[in-house]
Amino acid sequence: MTLATEARSRPLHDIRRAEAGPDALSVPWSRPVAPRRKAVSTARRVSALTVLALLAVWALAAALHLVSPVFLPSPAAVLVKFATVATVGFADATLLQHAISSLVRVFVALAAALAVGIPVGLAIGLSPVGRGIFDPLLEFLRPIPPLAYLPLIIIWFGIGEPSKILVIAIAMLAPIALSTAAGVKGASQERLNAARALGASRLQVILHVMLPSATPSILTGLRIALGAGWTTLVAAELIAATRGLGFMIQSAAQFLVTDVVIMGIFVIAAIAFVLEFVIRRIEAALVPWAGKD
Amino acid sequence: MPSLFLDGVTVRYDGKAGPAVQRAALTVSTGDFVILTGRSGCGKTTLLNVAAGLVAPSSGEVRVDGRAIVAPGADRAVVFQNDALFPWLSVRDNVAFALRMAGIAERQRHERADALLALVRLDGVGDKAVWELSGGMRQRVGLARALAAQPNFLLLDEPLGALDALTRERMQTLLLDLWASAEAGFLMVTHGIEEALLLGTRVVVMAPDPGRIVHEIRLDFGRRYAAGEPVRSIKADPDFVSARADLADMIFQGEPA
Repeated sequence: MTLATEARSRPLHDIRRAEAGPDALSVPWSRPVAPRRKAVSTARRVSALTVLALLAVWALAAALHLVSPVFLPSPAAVLVKFATVATVGFADATLLQHAISSLVRVFVALAAALAVGIPVGLAIGLSPVGRGIFDPLLEFLRPIPPLAYLPLIIIWFGIGEPSKILVIAIAMLAPIALSTAAGVKGASQERLNAARALGASRLQVILHVMLPSATPSILTGLRIALGAGWTTLVAAELIAATRGLGFMIQSAAQFLVTDVVIMGIFVIAAIAFVLEFVIRRIEAALVPWAGKD
Repeated sequence: MPSLFLDGVTVRYDGKAGPAVQRAALTVSTGDFVILTGRSGCGKTTLLNVAAGLVAPSSGEVRVDGRAIVAPGADRAVVFQNDALFPWLSVRDNVAFALRMAGIAERQRHERADALLALVRLDGVGDKAVWELSGGMRQRVGLARALAAQPNFLLLDEPLGALDALTRERMQTLLLDLWASAEAGFLMVTHGIEEALLLGTRVVVMAPDPGRIVHEIRLDFGRRYAAGEPVRSIKADPDFVSARADLADMIFQGEPA
């Protein structure tokens, strides 16, 4: 916002300079402000340096055998392992197959969480009865770590695929439902009144004003949910999985194949980064008006 | 010709000592341009919302042709101060909103919306996003959106309040043009004294604590504009100048100085 204003005001500045000569600018209050962009790139540069320094420390520690390679393989070894697992595979599946299994679980869970969470959020936002029913349930579920209810889910639903998806979906439910409710409650009263005064029925107001008003908030909830789901993945894949990134790390750890463990951690982080990026792009495409109104 | 009656309307808000509006009576008929004005807190917006059906009166009632009003309806379209446009819809779909709610087919909706956009002098912006428009343009979209419902009454809540002075003057003549061509009664809230005089066929002055109607004057400056007289000559007319002083006196009467 500030950046845009500055960018727009600059040509004006230049015109004034051209008309009045440089002297008009020498008054102290009209000194041009340093562009904010520079601050961003400074932070970026420091971040890049930090990462490089950490990599260097890691490489050095491995090269000097400060720690046994069993516990701390070198960055190069991890990179080589990445290539091996990507082509040959580990634990009966290639890296891609592990990643796809994990992604499918997370996205099936996301679909389920959206199908339940959005109506629940609407109910909380629209009616005191809905709020009375669902608020305590969500407040109960929200702070429980997935590992805590995992054993119960195994007892109830067995060790099959549905249990893994359920664990992830439960972790995703609260952020989606709560942000939907917040979006519905935050819908502008004037817009709701405008729709009513234009002849919209109660259902039409919900469909054509409340839901679109809540969309930016729902998408934020979706982003938080995807993060929560992805972090729950390893826990979910502790349940007798035969494929998946969490399973891969888990079984590598049992045989002390530390390079696969570290490589798996990086892959999980990289996928999370890509997902976050994609959702931000979806947000920009779907609700370009968010924050501008 | 439909008429909107406010009959002994009193509105009390929870937690407030005095009523926001006390025993207000008002009639708006087709062809009227009624202005509600007065100092802040005199209940003019509340009264407009009662007419719209958005606020239920604590006592008294609102009737259209003898029928009591209990809810908002497309026969009484509202234009809001902060335009209240829907940013997720294009300009054209904003204008066509009432038609969509009424289940009219898309092609007809779009044709009608484009005609209305031309009427408010916004040809060719139908495909734009509303947040790309200036404040004056947004307010004109709001007008077109309200007119799309073909309302019997157009209720305007300080529609020009947030605009700059030049845009405001252009919007005033646009409102007069729309009023002269539309078969509807207009009811508008404004703080602007000149605006009230120029647009209103009747100006209703309210006073606060409790909010009530204290004066009502009849005017014909708007009709003179509709008959072709330029705004500048109307505003220079001694009648206009003295009416401005009189109206200011009515508004600030009883104001602690």
